[in-house]
Amino acid sequence: MATTQSNRQEDFRGMLSRMEREGQLRRVTRPVHPRHISALCNQAPTALLCEKVEGYDTPVAGGIFWTRSRTASALGWPEGELGTRFAKAAARPLAPVTVSDAPCQDVVTTGDDVDLTTLPIPFMHEKDGGPYISAGVAFAEDSEFGLNAGCYRMMFRTRREMAIDLFTASDLRRFYARTYERNQPLPVAVAIGVHAYEHMAAAFKAPAGVNEMEIAGGLRGEPAQLVRAKTVDIPVPAHAEIVLEGELLPNGWTADEGPFGEFAGMQGDLKHNPLFRVNAITHRKNPIFYALQMPWENDWLNGPATEAACMRVLGMAGIQVTAVRATEGGCCGWSVIASIKKRAGEGKNALTALLTLPVVKQAIVTDDDINIYDPNEVEWAITFRCQADKDIVILSGMKGKHVDPSVRPWDLKPGELPTTSKFGIDATIPEGIPAFRYERIVPAFKDEVRLEDYL
Amino acid sequence: MNSGPAVDSKLVKLIEDCLRKPVYFRDIIDATKEHRYRAVLLAWSEVRMRHQLERDELGRFWCSAL
Repeated sequence: MATTQSNRQEDFRGMLSRMEREGQLRRVTRPVHPRHISALCNQAPTALLCEKVEGYDTPVAGGIFWTRSRTASALGWPEGELGTRFAKAAARPLAPVTVSDAPCQDVVTTGDDVDLTTLPIPFMHEKDGGPYISAGVAFAEDSEFGLNAGCYRMMFRTRREMAIDLFTASDLRRFYARTYERNQPLPVAVAIGVHAYEHMAAAFKAPAGVNEMEIAGGLRGEPAQLVRAKTVDIPVPAHAEIVLEGELLPNGWTADEGPFGEFAGMQGDLKHNPLFRVNAITHRKNPIFYALQMPWENDWLNGPATEAACMRVLGMAGIQVTAVRATEGGCCGWSVIASIKKRAGEGKNALTALLTLPVVKQAIVTDDDINIYDPNEVEWAITFRCQADKDIVILSGMKGKHVDPSVRPWDLKPGELPTTSKFGIDATIPEGIPAFRYERIVPAFKDEVRLEDYL
Repeated sequence: MNSGPAVDSKLVKLIEDCLRKPVYFRDIIDATKEHRYRAVLLAWSEVRMRHQLERDELGRFWCSAL
């Protein structure tokens, strides 16, 4: 990484200002109790910036990635191009640069002065095990795999300690397992309030050894700017609002953590996880705390990558794909819809390709005349282009996910992985039926009149 | 960000009283809602440092030593 002086690039607060100008964020000026932030974000038609949080002088933002349109606004991309843009960016990673002077270190608190209660960490869901930092992007380095960035929830425990969820397989879990075996702590830095480019790159499940901040550079179109943390030798986003520096203690998976409202929209289970001991807090002047709202913000952070993965597997299958949509009801990953320029048999080929993706559990494939962003059009295609006995594909015994109750994960032995069945609906025009049988109704002389001229 | 206030011992006692039976964290927040949120988190931090809290499968907390 090259070292340079910090120059201005859009940061978290700049992104919020732009979203506000685009009508995707509103400011709440009345005082808000931290226990009410999630309820308000759930009711809001836009992202919120709660300017006055009772007992704190740190504003709290939430709901930034709650919908496709807000996600597109945060990224500055057209709504229909999230998958294609993500695919292009991931294919063109840019190495980050290290800056010597960073806003995220305007204010530095270390040692015994560190107190996590200075942050407005909200209590979010009825059955949560405590207040949660839900928008933390954790950075750690490993001698073999280099820098890794990932998104991990953390439950408030004491002034200096959080329990961090390392229950499922991840690069950070791998790094931690290595230091745990040596009974040593793992240095970690957690950034809160980073731009959508850095946050989405960190949420992307890149192969081990791939620096997610290079993906962030691809998304941004210019190198991400990092700065060395103050007390651990780890680079963090220079323009982050807040950075927690510390170490994952070698206590193993022993500290109670959770339950927490999970990405699949269900209240998760109590788990046991490592402890994150915070040794320093650095932040910008007048920092903004970010409370990522479950489940949709977590899901939409992964949606563009899911759509990109669908395009990739369809391309590998030689299918000409015109659009892919990861749907919110399927948590932007479990359920996808694709439209294709079909040749004979490719409806089923496309379904099979999509269902090989680990997370995709149900898929619908339509012809390219269907607007897959309109649920009525998709339903119309299923209704009139599908024969259930011929056009529904069911695959059994495929890799499943513990978070899906329908695989009955509680019946599994420790370490046993669940399997699942998957299904796809081929809603393309069946072979042998001419396209004119599906000719749509068109209002007569529709291009000659405009309703607004008559109202 | 605000500098650190002292731990409120009455609030610690209130939380300890809650923990004599299984409670969700939500119940702690509800029982202490007349107090400043940050003071509640500081008191909770103190309780967690003083006691080994138990959890049931629903995620409720209690402390049998109290």
